[in-house]
Amino acid sequence: MSSQKSYSLPSFMNSDSSLPWLLPLITMLIVFAIIPFFYNIYLSFHEFVPAKRALLFVGWDNWIRLFTDGVFWGSLKVSLYYTFMCLLIQLVLGMGIALLIDSDDPGFGIIRSILTLTLVIPPAIAGMIFLIMEDANYGLIPWLLKSIGLIGPEDTILSDPTLALWGVMIVDIWQWTPFMVLILVAGLRSLPSEPFESAVIDGARPFQVFRRLTLPMLHKVIAVAVLIRGIDLWRMVDYVFVLTSGGPGTATYTLSLYSWQRFTFVQWGYGATISLFSLIVILIVGNAFIHFAKVKW
Amino acid sequence: MHLFILQRLNGKGLNKVFKQVLGWLIAAIFFFPIYFWITVSIKKDKDIFALPPKLFDFEVSFSAYEEVFGISRFLYVEDMGAVRPGGGDFYMMPNLVDSIIIALGSTGLAMLISILAAYSLSRIPIRGQQHFMGWILSTRMMPPVAVAIPMFFIYKNIGLMDTHLGIIIIHALMNLPLAVLLMKSFFDDIPKDIDEAALLDGATRFFVFWRLIVPLAIGGIAATAVLCFIFSWTEFIFVLMLTQTGLKTIPVVSTSFVTSTGTAWDNMAALGTAAIIPAFIFILLVQRHLVRGLTLGSVKQ
Repeated sequence: MSSQKSYSLPSFMNSDSSLPWLLPLITMLIVFAIIPFFYNIYLSFHEFVPAKRALLFVGWDNWIRLFTDGVFWGSLKVSLYYTFMCLLIQLVLGMGIALLIDSDDPGFGIIRSILTLTLVIPPAIAGMIFLIMEDANYGLIPWLLKSIGLIGPEDTILSDPTLALWGVMIVDIWQWTPFMVLILVAGLRSLPSEPFESAVIDGARPFQVFRRLTLPMLHKVIAVAVLIRGIDLWRMVDYVFVLTSGGPGTATYTLSLYSWQRFTFVQWGYGATISLFSLIVILIVGNAFIHFAKVKW
Repeated sequence: MHLFILQRLNGKGLNKVFKQVLGWLIAAIFFFPIYFWITVSIKKDKDIFALPPKLFDFEVSFSAYEEVFGISRFLYVEDMGAVRPGGGDFYMMPNLVDSIIIALGSTGLAMLISILAAYSLSRIPIRGQQHFMGWILSTRMMPPVAVAIPMFFIYKNIGLMDTHLGIIIIHALMNLPLAVLLMKSFFDDIPKDIDEAALLDGATRFFVFWRLIVPLAIGGIAATAVLCFIFSWTEFIFVLMLTQTGLKTIPVVSTSFVTSTGTAWDNMAALGTAAIIPAFIFILLVQRHLVRGLTLGSVKQ
């Protein structure tokens, strides 16, 4: 190693220092990730005052308002419910489909290809696809549900306070279950076959094999998929924006949508406070997850 | 693999045919909304709203595509400037051009920055490398709204609001964690002996990087670039919040096809279909690296 040192040249890009290589990245992250973060903190202690047409210092007002605002608590509940339910459904469904299509038989390659297609659709357009399919008057899904009697003839999906959130979640489940499937299939394919062969020879039952062998061996892959999907579910705003705009009432406000909505109502400081709250939660939970699930990059 | 599943299915009298049928059924369910959307784009209004839905037996019409791509402007000159009842202009070529400029620009910028950084992270370990990687990953966690609100004020002050450059920069930033981590995993696949041998022969670090390693990683670079392109192409909330009238990309403009007489579903679907078909082709080209890309380089196929 010491002999190598003499070959490293002192000029800008040729040195063995990593600084010049990392400098563009670090600059970009500081200017466009660190500065906005502190700007957000600054904004959360200020608010636009219409009477004075200026952004004024308001102390802890925004934070006090945050913790006493029923709509905020409602949107927090929606965000948590949305994230956990979608994650659970996508993981379970994804695992089931992955086990089914993890096969070298002809045809399954094409099936896997078809499943990749939903991933590249702009989420806003995925929302539009389901907006017409869930339309109260001529939508395919309400018509189907009505004809099999699951909902009453006058019921709707997206304007019903209890069903609206599920109307949004179905889009997420449709678009991103394949994400889980593809990752889990890749995980299943990379498993060594010997432990499974000997387990089968020992007469282990399929479910036991799955619980004792497959799941533990897939631990890392599942953790990565859950982490990435969880982050995106928490940040989700496109679907609710397109499908319900938070309605009916405030039934489908997520934190991100509520924050955006306050922002457009020129409550800049309060909007920033909500988004900052959402950011802090995901930073803490995400990094704790990485730590405890021992995810490594 | 997974003998036990086969065994269980066989044991209960379920065979390969059953697996095939179930597999295709699932594929059909996931593909159906896409198919439905494409049919909306080529249906006439009366068929779009028909119940039970007309899935196969409808009149085909490409007028929505003609309006969106401005073909009708050339074919029927007397229609120039005419708007449909209810108002609204559906000529979307400028928005397609905006989308392409932004996606290409942000992909280029993100790739340039990330290839340099990823090579260095892969070859010249730094003190606290794990923390640095953790920081990059944390950037990936930031909710877009939490970035867009402060950027709105910063962009207003420095004049990047409503500009292509502003959106290009913010999309590049959005893609940086993906690009850096993914490129690092591709560089990690290339043996370090190559670098060390070349360095010992007196080659400079930059020469090694540019003439030896980059050509070897070209497949990974292409896959990363395609993913960056797609994520910029599909991005919604930054464009919504950081533009006003100057430019709108396809996802944002396609949510605004609402006129006083209702939503122009056929035009919206035509634009949406036009936006997803290139993405389909791209993603199938890089399918081999897709899982690695979706997991930011941590799960290899």
